[in-house]
Amino acid sequence: MIRFQNVSKIYYNTKAIDNISFDIKQGSFVLLVGPTGSGKTTIFRLIIRDLEPTEGDIQIGEIDVDKLPKSKIRHLRRKVGVVFQDLKLLFDRTVLENVMLPLEVSGVSEKEARARAEEVLEDVGLTDKIELFPLQLSGGERQRVAIARALVFNPDVILADEPMGNLDLETSLQILDLLEAINRKGTTIFMATHNEHIIDRAHYRIMTLREGVLKSEKKVLKTNSKTEEEKKDDKKKENQEELNEGKKKIKLESLKQKK
Amino acid sequence: MIHIKTVAKYIRRSPYQAIAATLIMSLTFLTISVFALITILSVRLIDYFESRPQISVFFEPGTPQEKIEAARKTLESTGKTSSIKFISQEEALAIYREFNKDEPLLVELVSADILPPSLDVKAEVVTDLPALADLAQKSEGVDRVIFQKDIVDTLSQWTNAFRQIGVAIIAVLLIVSIFVILTIIGIKITIRRGEIEIMKLIGASDWFIRMPFILEGIFYSVFGAFIGWSVSYIALLIFASSGLQSFFSGVPIFPIEPIYMIAVLGIELFAAILLGAFASFLAVFRYLK
Repeated sequence: MIRFQNVSKIYYNTKAIDNISFDIKQGSFVLLVGPTGSGKTTIFRLIIRDLEPTEGDIQIGEIDVDKLPKSKIRHLRRKVGVVFQDLKLLFDRTVLENVMLPLEVSGVSEKEARARAEEVLEDVGLTDKIELFPLQLSGGERQRVAIARALVFNPDVILADEPMGNLDLETSLQILDLLEAINRKGTTIFMATHNEHIIDRAHYRIMTLREGVLKSEKKVLKTNSKTEEEKKDDKKKENQEELNEGKKKIKLESLKQKK
Repeated sequence: MIHIKTVAKYIRRSPYQAIAATLIMSLTFLTISVFALITILSVRLIDYFESRPQISVFFEPGTPQEKIEAARKTLESTGKTSSIKFISQEEALAIYREFNKDEPLLVELVSADILPPSLDVKAEVVTDLPALADLAQKSEGVDRVIFQKDIVDTLSQWTNAFRQIGVAIIAVLLIVSIFVILTIIGIKITIRRGEIEIMKLIGASDWFIRMPFILEGIFYSVFGAFIGWSVSYIALLIFASSGLQSFFSGVPIFPIEPIYMIAVLGIELFAAILLGAFASFLAVFRYLK
C-alpha cells in the first residue's frame, strides 16, 4: 500500500530523513513515533507530494508518487486522507462546509457533497454540530472534523499527523478509538505521534524515527486487519517469546536449585 | 456555481476593496462611454455638413434664368460635379420659413424677392471643390460662393484631436484600472494564502483555486462598465433634452437611438470581461505560482 525505498530528503544541506525504507500493507494501523523534528511530518508530506524526495522511490498503491506529473498530484491527494498536525480547518466555514470542501474541489455536486459530508459527520459523532464554526468547537471536536474531512473521499489510507497533539488523555483516547473504528472498516491508518500514553496503548506496528533515520520497528500482537503472513510472523514471535520466557524460568529454577 | 458563491463571499468580506475597484472601473468606462458618444455625435455632425451642398452659388436677386443655366452648364462641363440643384427664390423662401418657423416675425419680414436664387453643387471628389468654386465665382450674375469644405475640415480636425485626447485618457485609465484590479486581487490572494494552501492539500486543481479570483476581477470590471455606461446614458438623456439640443439647433444629431447605446454597452461589457480577466490573470500568475 505505502512503500518507501531508500528515501532521503535534504532541506538546505540538512537531512530531514535519511535513506528510509518501509512497507505498509493495506488495512494496517501503523504508528510513526519520534520526537519533534525527527522527520514524521516530512514523511507525510512526501506521501502526498507536498515535498519531493531528494532520493528514493515512494509508492502508494499503484501510484509512483515521486514520478507523478504535477497535474496528477491532486488525484493522489484525493486518494489519501490527511489529518494535519494543525488541522488546517477553514475557520470561516461551518463544520459541514469544511467537510464538503474536498468533494467540492473535485467537482462533486453540492447536493451529493452535502449528503456524503453529513454521513461522515454522523460517523464521527458530530451530527449536532454541522452548522457550527470550528471556533465554536472543543479541541476534540475539531479533530473529529479534520478526521471527517480526511474520510469524506472514502480514502484507502489516512495519514494522521499528531492528531492528539494538544488534547487531554481522555479526548486523545476517544480520537484513537475513532481511528481504530475507521481502521476496522479496512482503511489503512498511518499515524504520527509522540504521545507516550497512545504508544503504550497501541496494539499495532510502531515505527520509531530519530533524526530522520528509522531506528526500530516493532509489531505488537493485537492487530485488526493483519495479513495472514503478518499473523504467522506474529505467532512465531509470540511462540519464540514464550519459549524464551520458559527457558529463562528453567534457568532461574536451575540456578535456585544449585544455590 | 461554487465559484460564484465564493466570489460573493470574497466581495462581502472586503466591501471597501470591492467599492474601490468598481469605482475606478466605472470611471474608466464612463470616460469610454462619453468619448464613444462624442464620436457618434461628431460622425453625425460631419455627415450632416458633408451631406449639405458643398458649394452654394448665390446669384443676385433678379438674375435671369438663362445666366443661371449658363453657369450651371459651365460647371457641369468640367465633369467634376456629381449633382447641381437649382433653388429658386420661392424655394429659398420656403427653406427660410421652415428654418425660422418658430420666429414668425422673421418670417413675416422676408419675401421671395429679397432672397437670392442659387445652385447647390456637389463635387465627385472633394479636392476639386476649390476649382469648381473659382469657376462658379467667375460666372455672370454670381453674388457670392459659400464653400463648405472649410467647415468640414475644421470639424474633422477638431474631432480627430478630440478622439486622440480621448484615446490617450482612456489608455491611461485602462492602465490604472488594470493596476487597481491587479493590486486588489493580489491583496486578496495574500490574505487567503492559508485557505489556498489547504485547498491544494486536499486536492483542488490550480484552476479551481484561480477561478474565483479571475471571476472577481471580471465582476468588478463588468459592474463598473455597467455603472459607467448608465451614468453616461442618463447624462445624455438629461443634456440632450435640454442644452445640447438647442446648441445644435437645426443640425439633426439628436436623438441618439437606444440601439446605439445598447451597442456601446455590448462592446463595453465585452471589453470589461477582457480587461477584468486580463488584470486578474496577471494577479493570479504573479501571486499564485
